[in-house]
Amino acid sequence: MRIPTLPTWFATKASSAPTKKDRSQVRVGIPKVLNVWSTHQFWVGFLKALGVQPENIIFSSDTSEEQGREHGKGRGTVDCCYPVKCISGHYGELVFGQKKKINVLLSPMLYSIPSVLRGNVVDTLTCTRVMAGPESVKAGFLKERDVFAEQGIKYASPFVSLGDPHCVTDQLYDGLKDVFELDKKETEHAVAAGYAALDAFNAKARGQSRKILEWCAINQKPCILVMARPYHMDTGIGHEIEGELQAHGYPVLWLQYLPGDLDLLNWLFEEDMRIGRCKNPFDINDVWTSSYSSNTNEIMWGAKVAARCPWITCVVRLSSYECGMDQPTFTPAQKIVEATGTLFFKFGDLDSTKPAGSVRIRIETITHYLSKYSEDIIRKKRAYLSDQGPLLEGEWPERPEVEAESPAPQEQQEQVISVV
Amino acid sequence: MAQLATLPVLPSAPHYTAYKPRPFKREEREDVTLLFGGLTWKHERMMQGVLHNLKYKAEPLPNIKREDLDVGKELIDTGACCPTIFTTGNLASFLKEKSATHGKEHVNNKFVYLTAGACGPCRFGQYHQSYAMALDGLGMKDFRMFLLAQDELDQGEGEGGGLQINMPMSLGLIWSILCGDVITDLEYRIRPYETVPGQTDKVLQESVEYMYQAYLNRPLQGGKWGTMAWHLTTDYFTKALGEVRKMWDAIEVDRLRPKAKVKITGEFWLQTHEGDGNYNIKRWLESEGAEVIPPPVAVWLHYLMHPEIRKLERRQSTSKHPQLEHKLLQVLEKVYRGTYNRFRKALANIPYELPDQIELINLAKPFYHFELRGGEGHMLVGKALYSYHHKKAHMVCELSPYSCMPNTMSIGSMANVMGRYPDLLYAPIEVKGDAEVHALSRCQMILTEAKRRAQQEYEETLKETGLTVEAIRQYEAQHPEVKKATYKVPHMGHAGEATNYVLHLARDKQIARA
Repeated sequence: MRIPTLPTWFATKASSAPTKKDRSQVRVGIPKVLNVWSTHQFWVGFLKALGVQPENIIFSSDTSEEQGREHGKGRGTVDCCYPVKCISGHYGELVFGQKKKINVLLSPMLYSIPSVLRGNVVDTLTCTRVMAGPESVKAGFLKERDVFAEQGIKYASPFVSLGDPHCVTDQLYDGLKDVFELDKKETEHAVAAGYAALDAFNAKARGQSRKILEWCAINQKPCILVMARPYHMDTGIGHEIEGELQAHGYPVLWLQYLPGDLDLLNWLFEEDMRIGRCKNPFDINDVWTSSYSSNTNEIMWGAKVAARCPWITCVVRLSSYECGMDQPTFTPAQKIVEATGTLFFKFGDLDSTKPAGSVRIRIETITHYLSKYSEDIIRKKRAYLSDQGPLLEGEWPERPEVEAESPAPQEQQEQVISVV
Repeated sequence: MAQLATLPVLPSAPHYTAYKPRPFKREEREDVTLLFGGLTWKHERMMQGVLHNLKYKAEPLPNIKREDLDVGKELIDTGACCPTIFTTGNLASFLKEKSATHGKEHVNNKFVYLTAGACGPCRFGQYHQSYAMALDGLGMKDFRMFLLAQDELDQGEGEGGGLQINMPMSLGLIWSILCGDVITDLEYRIRPYETVPGQTDKVLQESVEYMYQAYLNRPLQGGKWGTMAWHLTTDYFTKALGEVRKMWDAIEVDRLRPKAKVKITGEFWLQTHEGDGNYNIKRWLESEGAEVIPPPVAVWLHYLMHPEIRKLERRQSTSKHPQLEHKLLQVLEKVYRGTYNRFRKALANIPYELPDQIELINLAKPFYHFELRGGEGHMLVGKALYSYHHKKAHMVCELSPYSCMPNTMSIGSMANVMGRYPDLLYAPIEVKGDAEVHALSRCQMILTEAKRRAQQEYEETLKETGLTVEAIRQYEAQHPEVKKATYKVPHMGHAGEATNYVLHLARDKQIARA
């Protein structure tokens, strides 16, 4: 037993509860760009735990050409893909476009991100432009003079590997301690709160996706999987293409929120595991060996799920102009999806302008094929799976008779690839 | 999982699977040629010596040609960066040519391709996807391609045992790359000043052949650690480089030619390459009156191995002794730099020293975080500022492939650097492979100012020292050793070779003023 001495006896006892500083008046602006689209709940949870009021956490609005013109003009430093290029507009909106000024502009450099595939892939890194985007964009606000300082805004761009939770407290403490006057303990507490918020949100969204699939299974109706990067949810980048499809009555699932429930996935990948094609439902080594990039890995995994799930009869791929991460995946992803006759449509080279006319024509084509072939696709894909599936809980319709090989109809194959 | 085996067999779905090469068997080794490429002909010739020494048949792919770009474009998905397209087209052109002569089956069985893989988030680590797609397009899915991880010295035996990526191979290849670097540095420091045109290239050719023989006859040491100990302690390579130095002694140079010194940086393949892939920009710069500082591959390897930079990569490490591993890496890094310096010393210290990676990190810090991976990361910013602060070059020419993801980000950050250092001459050149005039004319705009600065600096130094060209010529006639290519002119605080030479003669050699 340790013998108490005077200094230890009278020493201030460390409290288990983190010190709480008053940050209720601090207004934090977060550019709603890139992988913030899949991690926003972490940042909300993190800041709330630090005492920042929810109403003082301000996300920039969806990307638009007006936003870029009004707030980002002259701030661009390099020509690259639109999802990165447009960040200048988001920064500008937060710096110049707020009625009530922000105090901190928080633009994290995300090195890695959480993923359902973690442990089954080499890594879950972000794209090099996603992680380095803030460095490139901030240059446009610093090259002539320090715009942030002029506006009384603290610019904070912590380097953080959200995919590696054990590193995050140290990284955020190092990156934000001067901005928020943090101490280590409260950072740790806030990081835990951030992950809890993110996990809760993801679980809820995945649960919703599962309900959609259940509805499709019970009603033998098709749904569409949108295979894209998280920022394609931004109406100015993804151009609401999935919304137009939904308007035709087809439920839409987003790749990022596909259900990860083992009962469902074990059923979909039962045969793959039996013949050793993959070790478990999250293993993508059979289709993608250089599995470093998190979003790319998930795209390949989503393609595998879509190829196997009977009610996902159509995959719509969104890809932005000059996306170097998407480029090597174009053919493999399409081949994975089409191998089982699933419809595949790609909207490639998306940029700042919405090609409304051609999108409308493509939507008509897609819905035509969906209505014509979905029933057949569901029937054929069902035949590859065992009868005891989890979605219907014993209410399976009669098992269809199908041939082992089921190539996509010729007419369908001719139409599946087209670029906006 | 045990339950799965008892389930009824279902109709098998025709699922897609990625390219997987069939095994390369040990007994095939004598008949099968390893193809490789991606560096300069000098590096590749010495690497060939290493592979021949290990009893492999090995052949570098032919140097990249403009036509390879068209061949590559036809075979892979649109939107690829030009290094991907060029290297894919290069491999495809070779395979097509060989197939036309010997048939596809022969090529599938008698050649394998060895390429670098694993580069984190950048597309560089995914080039092999494009190669696989090209093989599919050529109807040669049976052709075998294997990946060589850049960060593992001992990857063991590949499936079939035909290819053993072990210590003798890895260290041999690294050592040959280091020798290729120092000889390349020598080449670029000498050629602009040679008095007999073409002599440098001739001696270069002989030097590389000499080094090929040195690698071919490398004494093989037993075991993993024996090989490592031998490579770290032997004077075998420094002696060979010493012989090379004697060859270069014969070249006479005229250093009183003020030339703009141009530091080449950029994306790894594009900056290293010498040929159509980057519009032959290094030769073009020389023809325009510049002295080029080529980027050594050694800097890239140094970056990959540096313990501070790699810290985050070990975040998933399950090692029981992380501190010990870190210390070992620190020792390894020191040994690596020491080896490079030994090779430089064998060539009279004329090749440039490796920049201090910690200094690069610190220089880049306000502009680009050093842990941002992909491509050259913070090094492009760091190297530009290193050249600027140490007055190593008049101008930085950054070669960036069109749509290169990491390069575009550091170029963006350079806007901030340029705001802070407006007199830094920086030419980011986007290379598509088929827009030569545009790229070169852009480079020329900055080069004009660099040349003006080089001339001005030279003239001011002459004035300041009171030396005249005639006095220097007279000194050279009396001391012919200063005209030797291997005479080391120390860096006297200026970028230009001519300026440093004048200052060196004035201060160190005490030439009388006019």
